Amino acid sequence: MKFLCIDCDTAMKFKDVTRPEQGSVTAVFECPECFTEIAMFLNPSETQMLKSLDLKLGGSNAAAQPMQLIRSQLETSKPDMMTDTDTSESAEGGKCPFTSVISDAFEDQSEPEPDGVKWTPEALERLDRIPSFVRPMAKMGIEGFAKDNGHTEITAEIMDAARGNFPAQF
Amino acid sequence: MKTYKELPKDAGSNIIGQVTAQANRISTRLASVKYTIAIMSGKGGVGKSAVTVNLATVLTLSGFAVGVVDADINGPTIAKMMGVRNTSLEYVESGVKPATTSLGTRVISMDLLLSDDDAPVVWNAHTQKDAFTWRPTMEVGALREFIGDTDWGELDFLLLDLPPGSDRLPNVVELIPNLSGVVVVTIPSDVSHLIVKKSITMARDILKVPIIGVVENMAFYVCQHCGEHEQLFSADDTSFQQITLGKIPFDPKLSLCNDNGTPYVHEYPKSLASKSISEVSQKIQDFFNI
Repeated sequence: MKFLCIDCDTAMKFKDVTRPEQGSVTAVFECPECFTEIAMFLNPSETQMLKSLDLKLGGSNAAAQPMQLIRSQLETSKPDMMTDTDTSESAEGGKCPFTSVISDAFEDQSEPEPDGVKWTPEALERLDRIPSFVRPMAKMGIEGFAKDNGHTEITAEIMDAARGNFPAQF
Repeated sequence: MKTYKELPKDAGSNIIGQVTAQANRISTRLASVKYTIAIMSGKGGVGKSAVTVNLATVLTLSGFAVGVVDADINGPTIAKMMGVRNTSLEYVESGVKPATTSLGTRVISMDLLLSDDDAPVVWNAHTQKDAFTWRPTMEVGALREFIGDTDWGELDFLLLDLPPGSDRLPNVVELIPNLSGVVVVTIPSDVSHLIVKKSITMARDILKVPIIGVVENMAFYVCQHCGEHEQLFSADDTSFQQITLGKIPFDPKLSLCNDNGTPYVHEYPKSLASKSISEVSQKIQDFFNI
C-alpha cells in the first residue's frame, strides 16, 4: 500500500501508528514536501492479519525475540509458558525487551466494547473470571445474545440470561 | 501524477525487510541441521505422529542428533508421546531451549505451551469472529517460530510431524525451501491411498520436494496366539510398491507406549514393528547416502 500527495506528486511517508482501539489501528502518513498528514484506518480484520504476520507498521529497530508471536498472542498459554534465563539486557535496559516490542505495536488498550455493545464494570469482572481458553468464545456468544435480544449494554443480568446457551460457567 | 510503480517500494515500514528477517531466522537456524524431513500423509489417523516419534527414537538410538517439530499446531500429541509434556521451556538469548527426552531427542510442540489438558489453541484477537481469515496465517507464524526460534543446536535430522491435509506441505516449503524430503505415511486401504496420492503429487510434481518413500503403517496384525499375520485393511491399489520404505505391523503395545510417553522402539526393540521402523530408518539413511 502506497500513498501519494497529489498536490506535490510525492510519495507520503509513514509517520506514526496508534495503539489499537477496539481492534482497529490508525497509521499516519505525511507528505515530506508540504507536511500534509493523512490517517489510514485498519479495520479489526486487517489489524489482526498484520498481527498474524508478525509485521510492525513503521518497522521496528528492536531485534526479534524468540517466539515473540506465540508468546504474545497465544491466549490459552501457561502463565509460566517459558522461563526467562536470558542474561542479556535489552536496548531499554530491561531483562526482556519482548513485551514492549509487542505492546508498542499491537496491544489493544480499549475496553471490550465491539460492534456497539458495551459491558458494565460488573459484567466485565465476571467476564474476567471465565477461564481464559473459553473466554473469547463466551464473550462472543454473550455479545451475540445481547445483540439478538436488542440490548446495547451487557449487564450481569444479561450474562445470566445468556448462560443457558453456553457450556462454560460464568 | 505518479503511478504505483513510480513510488518507492515502501513508505517506511520496511515490510520486505521484516519478512526477509523472518526468513533469515529460519535459514540461520537450519544451517546447523543436516537433513530436514517432513512426515506427512494428507490422510488423518494413519499414525504419522507414532511413526515420527519412533523414527526419531530409532535415529537417536543410532547415534544421530535428532529434533522433532510438532507441526500440528491445533492437535499436538508429540510431547505426550515422547514423555516430555511437563517440561518448562527455557527462553535464552539464542532461542527457546527445546524439551529433551530421556534418550536425547529434542522436541518442540504447542502442547508444551498450553495452559491445561483441555485448553485449545486460542489466539489473542479483538474478536474471534471471522477468525478463519487470519488463523491459518497465525498458525504458519507459530510454525515458523517453532522451526526458527528453537535453539536446536547441531542436528543430523529435524523431523516435522505434519497435520493431515495435502495443503500443509506447501506452508512448510514456504518456510523451508530446501526441505530435504518427505516421508509419506499411509495405511493399506484404498481410501487412504486416494488421499496420499494427492499429497505425493503435491510434493513431487508441484513443490518439487524429494519423496524419500512411503511407510505403510498398520500393514498387518500378528496374532498373539498363533503368530499368523492377519490383514486389518486391504488395498487393491499397489501404486506405492516401488517407493515403500517399510510395512509396520499393528501392535496394541505401540498405542500404550504412546499413551505412556515411552517410545515403543525403545520399550520393545525386538518386536516386529520395531524392526520395521528400524528398516525405515536405515532406508532413509540410504536415501541420503549416510
